[in-house]
Amino acid sequence: MKKLMKKIMLSCDKATELIEKRIHFKLTFWEKIQLKLHLAFCKPCSHYEKQSYIIEESMSKIKPESVPPEDIKLLKEEIIKKLS
Amino acid sequence: MKKEDLIEWVNKYSGEMYSWALFKVSDSELAKDLVQDAFLAAAEKISSFKGDSSPKTWLFSILNYKIVDYYRAKLKMPFTTGSDSLSAFFDENGEWRPEKRPNAWHEDDKSLLDDENFILILKKCMDLLPDNWNSCVKLKYLLGKSGADICEQMNISKNNYWQIIHRAKLQLRQCIESKWKTD
Repeated sequence: MKKLMKKIMLSCDKATELIEKRIHFKLTFWEKIQLKLHLAFCKPCSHYEKQSYIIEESMSKIKPESVPPEDIKLLKEEIIKKLS
Repeated sequence: MKKEDLIEWVNKYSGEMYSWALFKVSDSELAKDLVQDAFLAAAEKISSFKGDSSPKTWLFSILNYKIVDYYRAKLKMPFTTGSDSLSAFFDENGEWRPEKRPNAWHEDDKSLLDDENFILILKKCMDLLPDNWNSCVKLKYLLGKSGADICEQMNISKNNYWQIIHRAKLQLRQCIESKWKTD
């Protein structure tokens, strides 16, 4: 029984890898079941899963910052000089 | 379209383009170079610009191309996805090392998304990632494409791609957790 469990249960490094894989690609049927089972029993990986999605979503929210007008002015002059 | 138009566009758009490039590469000198390169490329191609899209869209597409090019060149360096980077997080059985085990962040994790301080920490942590991983992560948001598309564009295997993302995420998560607590 223990041996069988070991075969079915993912390790945490594999489980977190599947969490990332799932975001970008499809999991196989077997992978889905394994991951679901692991997450049902593993608190740290459940936290990881939640946080991974938060990081994912936050990254798409990062917006460009405003830059010093002085920098832009110099840059413009330099580009115009090169163009003419 | 003529050269005079281009000068006008430099005045109109280079500020925005610079801020965009800086956001994507996190290096002001490099960002300036990329904007310059984009305008030089635009000058060469200006006769072919028929105004089907707005000048701004056209210029930004050239700039984006330059940025992707920059990352693509960087990614040519060999990938380091050795097991060593994973062993910092997991023991030989693949279980979390006790000090690296993820903790709960917040009673309501969703509200972190609206927290400016959180976004700031995330940005700091992204810049601390190793070059290759950072490139991969940033490209995903620059191209805004699916994993499969990025693999094709960057010429890396799917396996390699999500392994990089996996390691990058582990490190990002850890970095955020430690800074979130100490800041």
